[in-house]
Amino acid sequence: MAQLEALLDPTGMEAGAADTTLSPRPVSLRGLTIGLLDNTKPNSTLLLETIAAQLQEHHGAGEARLYTKDYFGTPVKETLLEEIVRECDVVITAVGDCGSCSAATVADGIMFERAGVPTVSITSDSFLMSGQAMASVQGFPGFDFYAVKHPMASLTAEEVRERAMTAMPEVLRILGVEEGR
Amino acid sequence: MDETTTAEADALREIVEHYFDKEWTDGLPVVPVTETLLAEFLATVARDPDEVLFSITHLNRHLTVRLAAINAAMAGCRSEYFPVVVAAWEAIAKEPHPARGIWQSTTGTAPLLVVNGPVRERIGLNSTGNIFGSGFRANATIGRAIRLGCINVFGLHPHKLDQATQGTPAKYSACIAENEEQSPWPALHTEHGFEASDDVVTAFVIRSVIHIEARHTQSPEQLARDLTDTIVRTGALIHEYTSALLVLTPEHADVFASAGWSKDDLRSFVYDNAVRKREDLVAVGKDALSHKTRWRLAATHPDSMPDSASQTEEPDEVRALSNPTSIQIMVAGADNAGVSAVVEIFTLNPPRVHPYSHQQIGATA
Repeated sequence: MAQLEALLDPTGMEAGAADTTLSPRPVSLRGLTIGLLDNTKPNSTLLLETIAAQLQEHHGAGEARLYTKDYFGTPVKETLLEEIVRECDVVITAVGDCGSCSAATVADGIMFERAGVPTVSITSDSFLMSGQAMASVQGFPGFDFYAVKHPMASLTAEEVRERAMTAMPEVLRILGVEEGR
Repeated sequence: MDETTTAEADALREIVEHYFDKEWTDGLPVVPVTETLLAEFLATVARDPDEVLFSITHLNRHLTVRLAAINAAMAGCRSEYFPVVVAAWEAIAKEPHPARGIWQSTTGTAPLLVVNGPVRERIGLNSTGNIFGSGFRANATIGRAIRLGCINVFGLHPHKLDQATQGTPAKYSACIAENEEQSPWPALHTEHGFEASDDVVTAFVIRSVIHIEARHTQSPEQLARDLTDTIVRTGALIHEYTSALLVLTPEHADVFASAGWSKDDLRSFVYDNAVRKREDLVAVGKDALSHKTRWRLAATHPDSMPDSASQTEEPDEVRALSNPTSIQIMVAGADNAGVSAVVEIFTLNPPRVHPYSHQQIGATA
């Protein structure tokens, strides 16, 4: 009988290190600085600022700081990541509403979590699968993010605010905020 | 004898299905790869199996020589094709868009590989009839080796990380050789400073291959204008400028060459004539640029800013090409008809002067 040989894995995935530990959750947002990371896609700024205003008004969050990525298709640059980690207690990043930027938004969230900052990544629901695939290749398959209803780019300001209000319970859940705190 | 054959057939089928179950395919069956076959591939290159040929940093994924070999073998390559596959990955690694995530994009681009030099003959790469079609193992499997690497090593599975809205048939495989023997001009790689005797892969990131039917003319101006009309089609003008590879059939190349036109003459003519009237762009809502992405949109859009042409002395003449070298020219296909192709090259802002990258085959790291 011929000698049996193993079929080789063509992915190289087995070599990838996995770190799937979420950063510690804050329980309460009182006085915490909220980092808003805008990926430059249309309506991202308004969505993020509306969510931040809700967190300030109803959950006692402190200052909200807005940061802008230089390219939506790849994850946040190291220097900006370090700046945000230094200056903020929690991060919200939006909006991954295309193929590369949805994956990049999820990768951003994973990078912030690994740097110890609780983060809500917001993609649009058309790109749920690419977000999940990115979480997989990053070795964080269960990473939890929020998929807002597609589309985002063509919405009016009022419609963006409605999307933000719909997102609020999920934002609070992902950040681990307990009701009423 | 019959029993033995039946048992092996079951085992073979099981192996084929194993690859589908693992999602290690492009939708077609692959060749099973074990260490014995892998060793044959690795023996064809003077490379460390752990050397990284191409990384997509933001995916934390790296394609090593070993992984390139496993996927090339799975694609059905013969081991002697492997030096071409290695050079192809190195050419792709020099392209700016793949490393930045363009293959996750809705745009749905694909790599196109062009091979020049004596290696074409050695491994049986097709450069003549049915150049973009099927039927040639070297062309089919070298192109497929890249696709399987994208899927398996970089996780670019459709519906997942690969979010192409429609994609292109070139995503299965796109590797062609130049028909140097029937070209009236110097080969593509010699324009880049290589010797004719060098083996070279040139990589392009393409959107589509468009058929040009032009059996009607011996006039170089008419033929060049017929090609140019496809280059300036508004559907291609998502950004301010575009780029194209002309894959001319020998008959078309001869129309130009026998009139005394060099490749540069053709390039200059196309560059000068690749112009849209502003009213054409207004008609399709692409007469201005968006502030952040510089994608084309209507001047009436709130995010719009004027395009470059509007700041020139002829604001109603909008150039589709930033540079004569935005047009690359090669010869391939059978010498039997006036049928050529315009290959649309993905072009962002700012456009690149040379919209391709190349790598010599058999070079050591």
